[in-house]
Amino acid sequence: MFKLKSYGRRNLYKSIFFALFFIWLSFSVEAYNQGQVAVTLMLFIAVASIVLLTGLSGQISLGQGALMAIGGYGSALLIVNQNFPIWAALIGSIAIAFVSGLILGIISARLSGPYLAGTTLVIALAVPTIANRFESVLAGNIGFMVDFKSPPAWVTQIFGELGYEHWQLIATLPFATLTFFFISNILKSRTGRSWKALRDNETAAALLGVKIGNTKVFVFAISSAFAGLAGALYGLRGIVGPSVYAVSLSLSLLTAAILGGVRSIFGALLGTVIIVFLPDWIHDVVKDLELSEQISNFLPAFFAGALLVLTVVLNPGGIASNLHHHKKKTGQ
Amino acid sequence: MTIAKPLWSNGKREKECEVVRIRKSLSIFSSLLAASLVLTALPAQAADQGITSSEIVFGMQLPQTGPASPGYNKVDDAIRAYFDYVNSKGGVNGRDLRLVAEDDTYSPGVTISTLSKLINEDKVFGMIGNVGTQTHLAVIDRINRDAIPDLFTLSGYSNFYNNPKKYPTTFGGLGTYVAESKIVGEYVKKTFPGKKVGILYQTDDFGRNCLAGFNAVGLTFEKGKTAANFIAGTQGSIGLASQLTQLKANGVEVVLFAAVASAFALAVSTANAIGYKPANWVVTSVGADATTFQTILGARGVPAATSAALLNGVITASFAPAPTDAADPYVTAFKKINDEFNKGPDKRWDNNILIGMNSAYLLVQALNGAGQNVTRKNLISYLETNGKKMSGAAFAPLGYSKSSHEGYVGYWIGKYDTQTNITPVDGKRVVYTTDSAKGAVKVLSEKTFKRASVPADTIAKGVK
Repeated sequence: MFKLKSYGRRNLYKSIFFALFFIWLSFSVEAYNQGQVAVTLMLFIAVASIVLLTGLSGQISLGQGALMAIGGYGSALLIVNQNFPIWAALIGSIAIAFVSGLILGIISARLSGPYLAGTTLVIALAVPTIANRFESVLAGNIGFMVDFKSPPAWVTQIFGELGYEHWQLIATLPFATLTFFFISNILKSRTGRSWKALRDNETAAALLGVKIGNTKVFVFAISSAFAGLAGALYGLRGIVGPSVYAVSLSLSLLTAAILGGVRSIFGALLGTVIIVFLPDWIHDVVKDLELSEQISNFLPAFFAGALLVLTVVLNPGGIASNLHHHKKKTGQ
Repeated sequence: MTIAKPLWSNGKREKECEVVRIRKSLSIFSSLLAASLVLTALPAQAADQGITSSEIVFGMQLPQTGPASPGYNKVDDAIRAYFDYVNSKGGVNGRDLRLVAEDDTYSPGVTISTLSKLINEDKVFGMIGNVGTQTHLAVIDRINRDAIPDLFTLSGYSNFYNNPKKYPTTFGGLGTYVAESKIVGEYVKKTFPGKKVGILYQTDDFGRNCLAGFNAVGLTFEKGKTAANFIAGTQGSIGLASQLTQLKANGVEVVLFAAVASAFALAVSTANAIGYKPANWVVTSVGADATTFQTILGARGVPAATSAALLNGVITASFAPAPTDAADPYVTAFKKINDEFNKGPDKRWDNNILIGMNSAYLLVQALNGAGQNVTRKNLISYLETNGKKMSGAAFAPLGYSKSSHEGYVGYWIGKYDTQTNITPVDGKRVVYTTDSAKGAVKVLSEKTFKRASVPADTIAKGVK
């Protein structure tokens, strides 16, 4: 066993627990909920990338959905045009998203605060237009039909016959677990601390020897890599197309990050669970009220927005900040 | 990110504790695995889901809200109204029909999630009348893999229906856009020989299919001159002024329009606003509903009389009777059921309700034909064998066979008058038929197909 720092070992056990918990959960719930948990894990990877970018290094992105789209299209092109197997396409999408994040990061490195937010929003808005402009390559408005297909034989041998939603969950879980492990470690590591310095006081960080420009770009690229992975997995649910990675997705991811707590990985998980399950929770509450579709279909968005406003005003650290009271004293 | 070397010195003791911890996690892991293997020993599913002795459940996905929803969000209410009517008469072979409709806001990511709900929570027997091409593309693989009947899909995208080996359970409920455009294209070529013809279409497979149909009969366009397009779904936010200005500048006199109803309403009013009055608008059936047109323009402050005047002279095609054709026995019968049984927020009779009810009418006919012991498999066989003989409100037959699941294969050409009625051009209704490939456009003779008269109780027994 290679030697890890103590926090590394702790995070390893936490990650193993994370994986086992979700395996157990996958066998305990119905197929529809399995599908929802699968989506939760996929979006968790993207929200965790926001924790890295915004929570840790203080850069705001309103366009994480666009970075997901880059990963999604990357993996779809590899699957459809180059006949890559799914696992290879996913790894390819990480690389493609990392490089794109590097490029985008270099372009927007001098921007900060609302200007960076605006730029990332524009990128998110541009996805449908780009897909249609290069229609012959990017399949325009329709997109690519890709999916998880059936589980390979060795998976069926371990887990038994899996329904499609169950297979999505099992296939996504290794990636979610690795994301959990890596990002938990980054949060505690020396590198993570230098990124926090960037967030808290750029000038002081520069004086301490942190290379501001390079670090910002590097964080952006790493965050994009995770977002790209999330996007590739999300696309494998059935289709990679501009309407899958709409601006509303970017905003939902940011909402999830803030609701859960933008500085912790557990917050990312909490926030994602809320965003994914909220529509059904609301439906269960209002279904007997016989509301018109024009009202009931908009309630989830309304409540998500209301929760976001309340969180920012009353509890800016998100839910997770309330679960780590003792850490506040040591200035997390 | 680097994993730094630890600084501890007490290596051996740490190692022993580590080993114990690893063994502990491994044993937990393996026992969980064993437990999970037990849980997965589920019995194989014998019967179809969604059907009991008292009920059959059907699912449907459509845009109930969002920019693409006007008009289409009435289709589920129409289907449910017909189901309720049939249930009031004792159901189908003693079983009540139930419809579960899910809103996908015309967004494929949502369609995937709601399909999971329909299959796993509502446990539907089959799907009926799914609306939307982009959205159906996201789920059609899954639906067919799970062998779920996907009946009377309300999209004319021919790739859904021309390969039953790939999509064995999907059947069309409209004609295909290619076939309709071929028929309309031939008519335009014959009727407007000297005039300049242009096209405004939405850039998804729906719009492109229409374009392909026009090309197939020899109507071609120049991009940037006589061909203008817009990204599907964006017409509301970007407006269509630049596209219409382009067509106006290039002297287009006959505008072919291939997009949804809400876009057509916007196009006509925008053209009016910029002073562009082409000699003829020719719009695909999917975009031609008058009530939707007037509702959308009404929301923009255009009074009904003005919008009716804008619609006057617009040419369109249809496989069914015009919803305003009060003399048509199917229209009368369906309208009566709609008045009595439609519980939706907007139950005003229009083409969306007519098509919805027609799909439900056909479904009940097929269920009756498949008999008491209907299963997913024998329902699909019934449609493949008898589809061409089945009769509904349409003037053309369904094109179902083992090699094609294409819907209606025939259209007649009509023109809106000042009262938003569609009447056949040249006075007498002529139904044309063609395929979705390179076949020629022909007149459909009564020997090939004659619409059956509507049964007294508006419930069709199966054909034999």
